[in-house]
Amino acid sequence: MTKNKPGLAFIFLLFAAANAFSAQPGGAGKERTQTGPMAPLRLAGLTAMDMPYDAGGTALLKWDVRPEDTPDTSYQVYVSSMETGGWIKADEFPAASRTSSEIDLPFWAWNAAPKEHAVKLELNNFYGEEQAAASVFRFKVTTVRDKKAFDSQVVSVKTAGNWFRLDRLNNLVLLLVIIIVFFLAVSHAKRKGLFIRRIAGLDAIDEAIGRATEMGKPIYYVPGIGNMSSISTIASAFILGEVSKKVAQYDSQIKVPHYDPIVMTVCKEVVKQAFLEAGRPDSYREDINQFISQDQFSYAASVDGLISREKPAAVFFMGYFMAESLLLAEVGATSGAIQIAGTDVETQLPFFFTACDYTLIGEELYAAGAYLSKEPMLLSALKVQDFGKLVVMVSVFFGIILVAAGAKFHWDPFVRVILNLFKAY
Amino acid sequence: MKLIKKQIPLAIVFIFGVLTLGSYYVPHKLSVDYIEMMNKWENIVSAFAFLLGLVSLFYSHCNKISRKTDGWGYSIFVFAGFLAMVIPAFLNNGKQSSAAGVTMLGWAFRYVYNALSSTMFAVLAFYIVSTAYRSFRIKSAQAFVLFAAAFLLILGKVPLGQIIWDAALGWTGAGVDQVIEWVMSVPAVAGKRGIMIGISIGAIVTSFKIIFGIERQYMGKD
Amino acid sequence: MLKETLGKFFKIDRRWIFLLLAVVLFVPIIKPIGLPNKTISRDTRHAFDYMDKLPAGSFVLFSLDYDPATRPELHPQAVAMVRHAFQKNLRVGVVTYIAGSTGLIQQVFEKVPAQYNKVNGTDYVIFPYMANAVAVMTQMASDFYGIYDKDQDGRDARTLPVMRGIRNYKNMGLIVCITGTSMLDYWVAYVGDKFKVPVLGGVVAISQPGYGPYLQTGQLKGLVGGMKGAAEYESLIGQPGKGASGIDSLNLAHLLVLALILTSNLILLIIKYL
Repeated sequence: MTKNKPGLAFIFLLFAAANAFSAQPGGAGKERTQTGPMAPLRLAGLTAMDMPYDAGGTALLKWDVRPEDTPDTSYQVYVSSMETGGWIKADEFPAASRTSSEIDLPFWAWNAAPKEHAVKLELNNFYGEEQAAASVFRFKVTTVRDKKAFDSQVVSVKTAGNWFRLDRLNNLVLLLVIIIVFFLAVSHAKRKGLFIRRIAGLDAIDEAIGRATEMGKPIYYVPGIGNMSSISTIASAFILGEVSKKVAQYDSQIKVPHYDPIVMTVCKEVVKQAFLEAGRPDSYREDINQFISQDQFSYAASVDGLISREKPAAVFFMGYFMAESLLLAEVGATSGAIQIAGTDVETQLPFFFTACDYTLIGEELYAAGAYLSKEPMLLSALKVQDFGKLVVMVSVFFGIILVAAGAKFHWDPFVRVILNLFKAY
Repeated sequence: MKLIKKQIPLAIVFIFGVLTLGSYYVPHKLSVDYIEMMNKWENIVSAFAFLLGLVSLFYSHCNKISRKTDGWGYSIFVFAGFLAMVIPAFLNNGKQSSAAGVTMLGWAFRYVYNALSSTMFAVLAFYIVSTAYRSFRIKSAQAFVLFAAAFLLILGKVPLGQIIWDAALGWTGAGVDQVIEWVMSVPAVAGKRGIMIGISIGAIVTSFKIIFGIERQYMGKD
Repeated sequence: MLKETLGKFFKIDRRWIFLLLAVVLFVPIIKPIGLPNKTISRDTRHAFDYMDKLPAGSFVLFSLDYDPATRPELHPQAVAMVRHAFQKNLRVGVVTYIAGSTGLIQQVFEKVPAQYNKVNGTDYVIFPYMANAVAVMTQMASDFYGIYDKDQDGRDARTLPVMRGIRNYKNMGLIVCITGTSMLDYWVAYVGDKFKVPVLGGVVAISQPGYGPYLQTGQLKGLVGGMKGAAEYESLIGQPGKGASGIDSLNLAHLLVLALILTSNLILLIIKYL
């Protein structure tokens, strides 16, 4: 026994020296040699990088999947903003999860390798927004197996904001195509009007205004409860311009009760201009446009009261409506007015259908400006809508066939490509 | 003058339209800050616009009262209602309840405003029933489909209807709630999606027309 | 003779129908009939199950955005879901983007927390009304306290025990939006979809069909619709309230509509073909 003591001591010294002087192989960022109570476990391919296509403050850790990981192995990810220590546990998950294929990005912006772990860390959750975007952060991954923990090498990165969302490239390409088609259509606007199918509701405007003039009753134009950023309110303002022009020409009366003061301001200008263009500036009155209330049912009650008392000959409901649609339409129907409605809120369309004489559905409201004014440029722009719908129809048709075929014949990469192309990121 | 009335507004619309459109593709913090700033400006402009609307409202009703036009009595209610809510709000510092219980504002809110608003919404129920009586009449094939769908959906919502269904059609193995779920999940959603797609495309083209200055009615033409 | 009589009935003054409906609605409120509520709809069941499965101590953000007009349908939903959250010992935060909701939120939290011994600041917190919902929702994704630094009583939100560990959506277990406006669309599009946060909805019955696409794609985890949905949720949590008490009237009104539709078509048949 005493003869082996020096030998054992020598072996022990060698082992200690090996541990003390073992070099840590490099990662993608700065590295430090790990010392401490836990044994090190180098993770192959461990890199820290800035998460692409974001505003900054999110880091991405990647490392290769280890075949020797057992089902009970898990990983813990730590982050620190300090030069030494200060580790905060940022994430924990089983070893079988969080691969690159789970990151929700399309194939042209991300390589979804199943043999690689990829973990997103939003540093805003642990540090302030400013610090998350400005500091260098250090990361390490601890492998936990059989109740033992093994630290990886340390990697570091500073996140940054990106300037372009490559994952939205499909969206951008589609947008550019539509813009090009839009300009082509508008620049080739013909003098003779392009064909638009008959829209009964818009053809009836003349009839409605004529009726009001004969009866000597006013026309009510209700632009809805949307604000000026709502597309249907903008479309309604255009239609109001055309209706006001005809009202001025027929020397009839029009009244426009408003929900939103900004819409009222815009519509004042629209109506004034329409009267000017019709050559009847003297007929224009400031009280044509009247602000009622910015409360939905107060507005409905007031307009109902006005309609019940004044019994207009024609009522137009054009714009954004919610629950008050039936309240307004029923009262108008009871008063005996001819009613023309148009809205893009599909939940209110059934109420307008049942209570009004004519209804414009959704995009017919948007087409009304072009339909009534017959301006070649506006008519051409309508063709772009048809083009857009054609793109959607063709995509849906061929998409269904291709995805179904891909699923049947197990062409998984092919199916993934098709689904990525049509997804919004 | 033409520069101020036409060119500058068009330029503003174009620049901000393109910037806001571009911000969808630019994730950088500058882009996020721009959108936040626009939202804040929108709030500020809305607040001023509300004042504008209020002034216009008072002016219009004052005119009606002074000229004693038809229905001028209702204009008095506009001012009475306004004062009835604003004075308690000032006196109670906007608080609806305090340690002593419900304040004047709270009372006015709960027993006047709540009651009136709920009443207006409840009137819808009456209108819906009378409209249903008039509209669900089978005058064509499409009307029959509308009638059948409405009848089925209402039947399924009522316990007695479910009992009637089970008695008459229980042998099919399909419960009325399953049929209703199918109607709501398949044909109704299909129709809604079609309308949504058309509306979205229409909104895109309308936005382009405004951004690129093709539709300018909102500014008044020269 | 019969055709003439039926013709008059066909064009009956709508005020008779209003009167009939008023009687049908009023009588069950005075004398409840107790009609059974046979089925629980799938979407209400999903909404209940999702909240039920949250571990105790999870944070639920309620966005209560309804005004007095929609109070009869949505207030019972809000009360039932807040009760459920308190039953499961979940932490509750309340925000609103509709000015008219503030009074209604106070009415909910005047009575419900006391029934479960919940304390303001420790178990629940109410934040003040904010305008411009979309901007606020976007800001909350990075830093909740950038928008809501104080609760409605002026206390520093960061120091409240109920807000411990909450920094942004990632720390929240669930968002529940109860609204009569299109606020739920904003929560789904700008928060649920973008930041992968689960969202439950409570809407008026008229809006319910419109959320079919969101439910199908899983963007909405569950949806409570109208007073019937509120009654269903109340029966699931075992606490009948205003929702259940209105169900008799609702059911009878539905039966009246069925009867009127059938009658008008029978009369049409007789007038046209007989």
